[in-house]
Amino acid sequence: MWAAVAKGKPLALMEIQGLTHRFGGLQAVTDFSLSLGEREIIGLIGPNGAGKTTIFNLVSGFYPPMGGTITFQGNAIQGLKPHQVAGRGIARTFQNIRLWGDMTVLDNIRLAHTYGLGYGFFGAIWRSKRYFKEEKLIEENSRELLDIMGLSDVTDEFAKNLPYGSQRRVELARALTSKPKLLLLDEPAAGLNSSDVEDLIKLIQWIHSEFDICVWMIEHQMKVVMSLCQKISVLDFGRVIASGTPDQIQSDPDVIKAYLGDSSL
Amino acid sequence: MRQRFFNIVFVFAAVVLVVAAQAGFFDNYVLTVLMFMGVNIIFATSLNLVNGYMGEFSCGHGGFMCVGAYIGSLVSVAFFTGGKLFGDPLLGPKLAPFLFPVVLLIAMFVSALFGLIVALPSFNTRDDYLAIITIAANYIIISIIENIDAIGGPRGFSGMKSTINAMRDVVDLPWMLIYVLLSTFFCIIVLSRLVTSIYGKGIMAVCQNEVAAEIMGVNTNKVKIMAFMVSSGLAGLSGVLYAHLYGYVNAQSFSILKSTEGLVMVYLGGMGSLSGVVIAAVAFTLLGELLRFIIPAANNAFHAIGLLPADFELSQIWKWVIIPMILILLMQFRPEGILGNKELTDVFPRLKRWVYFK
Repeated sequence: MWAAVAKGKPLALMEIQGLTHRFGGLQAVTDFSLSLGEREIIGLIGPNGAGKTTIFNLVSGFYPPMGGTITFQGNAIQGLKPHQVAGRGIARTFQNIRLWGDMTVLDNIRLAHTYGLGYGFFGAIWRSKRYFKEEKLIEENSRELLDIMGLSDVTDEFAKNLPYGSQRRVELARALTSKPKLLLLDEPAAGLNSSDVEDLIKLIQWIHSEFDICVWMIEHQMKVVMSLCQKISVLDFGRVIASGTPDQIQSDPDVIKAYLGDSSL
Repeated sequence: MRQRFFNIVFVFAAVVLVVAAQAGFFDNYVLTVLMFMGVNIIFATSLNLVNGYMGEFSCGHGGFMCVGAYIGSLVSVAFFTGGKLFGDPLLGPKLAPFLFPVVLLIAMFVSALFGLIVALPSFNTRDDYLAIITIAANYIIISIIENIDAIGGPRGFSGMKSTINAMRDVVDLPWMLIYVLLSTFFCIIVLSRLVTSIYGKGIMAVCQNEVAAEIMGVNTNKVKIMAFMVSSGLAGLSGVLYAHLYGYVNAQSFSILKSTEGLVMVYLGGMGSLSGVVIAAVAFTLLGELLRFIIPAANNAFHAIGLLPADFELSQIWKWVIIPMILILLMQFRPEGILGNKELTDVFPRLKRWVYFK
C-alpha cells in the first residue's frame, strides 16, 4: 500500500482482482481485474451480453463472485449483501430506472437514508426523541439534495409520474443520498435524446466535482464515454480485451474487431 | 402533533362508548357487534401490512389469529381461573381485569414468532409461490392444534367465559369492550407510526422495487421479517379478543374461510390504505350482521311473491354466496377498493389539519 503512495500514484479506492462468475455453463465474467482510484471517471464498454452489468451486479453484491477478490478502501467486500455494500459507500443506478414509483420524490430520497438509521422498530413505534431528531435531519438533507440537483419543484410528485429524464435525475440523486465514494452508473444515457445527453454529460461532470466521487460507468454512447472517461476497459465475452485512455481504445484493433466484426471473415 | 387530535377523539369516543355500555344503553347484541368490529379492524389492518403495503399475497392470516386465540385462551385460563388442564390458577381471578394485557402481550409475541413460518421462506420466494406457502402455514397451524388432545383437539377449547366473569366480579366495568377499544387503538397507532417512519417505509420499498430497495441500503430480509412478525402478532391480538368474546375457540373457525374474510376486508378497503381498511372492516362487520336480518326478510318476500318454490328456504348459508359475490363485483368495477392506496386525508385534504396517515 505504501509503495503505491511512494510512487506518487493515487491510492486505489477499489481493487478488483481476478473476478470470475458463471451462470450454469455460461462463463459470464472471466478473470476481470481493475483498479479504480479516488475521483476517477472510468468507463466499461463492450457489445451486448459481454458481462458488463454482471460485473456491476457482482460488485454491488447481488450475487457472490465465484472467484476473485474485490477490495474497497482496503476491505474485502465480495460476498457482502447488497445493503451492506451500499453501507460501505458504493451506490449505483440501473439501466432500466428502478425508482419507487408510488412514493413521492422526497420519500424516494428519504428512504435512501435507511442504512445507518439510528432508531429501530421500537423507536419508530414509540416515537422517541431520537426518532424526531433523525427524521428532521433526514428531511432537511433530502430537501437540500433535491435542491442542488434541480429537483425542488417536483419534490411532492409521485416518481412514476415524472418524465423519463427527470426520473434519471431522481435516480442519480437517490444514489448520491448516502454520500458514496463510488458511483456505479449502468447506461445512464440509455433512452435519452441528444440534447438530454449533453445535459447528462454536464451533470455527471458536475456531480464528479461537487461530490468528490469516483464514477464508474457502463455506456454505449461513445460521445458520453469519450468525453467523460479518463480510462476505459473494453469487455467481450466476459474478458477484458483492451484498456487504456479513450484515444488508445478508439484505435485498438481488437476493439474494432469486437464491435464491427472480423474483416477477414 | 396533529396525531394528538386523533388520539383525543378516539379516547373521547371510547370513554363515551364505555360509559354508555356501563349505563346499559346498548343491548348485548349491539355491544357484541361493536366489539367484533374492533376485532375485524385489527385482523384486517394487520393483514393490510403484508398484502397492501408489502405487496405479498398472504392467504393464511387466519392461522396466526388461531395461534393468538389458543395461546391467549390457554394463558388466560391458566392465569386467572384454572381448570381441569391447569389445576389451580397461577395468579387467581382477582388480578384478571388488570393483568389481561399480559395475556394479550404473550399471545401477540407467540403469534409473531409463528409469523416466521412465512417470513423465512419469503426471503427467496414471492408472489404466487409465497401465497401457497401462507395457505400451507394456515393448514399446518390448524392441523397441529386440532391434533393436540390436551387442549380439546377438534372439540375446541373453552373456559374463557369464566375469565370474563371474574373480571366483572372484581370491578363492574365492561372490561372486554375496554380491552377491544385499547387493542384497536394500539393496532392503529402501531401500524400508522410504522408506515410513516422511514424505517417502516422500507416495507413499501420492498413492494415497489425490491432490487432498488436492496441496493439503496434497505435490509430487505429484515424488513420482511419485521412486516410478517408485526402482521401476525397483531392477528394474534385479534385472535385473543375473538376467543374471549365467544368464550370458546375451535381451530376450524380460523380456516382458510377466515383468511378470506380478511382478504375481502383488505381488498374492499383498498390495499395499502389504513383508513380504507378500517372503514371496510366496519362495513364488512355491519354487512355480515345486516344479512342476518336481510336474508330471512328476503326469504319471506320471495315466498310471498312466489319467486321461490315453497319447499326451498333461503338460509344463512347464503351469506357465503353474497359476500364473495360482492368481492367479484368489486374486482370488476372498482378493483382498487374503496380508497385505493389513498388515505382518507388524501380524499378529504381538509382532514390533514387534524390527522395524518402518511
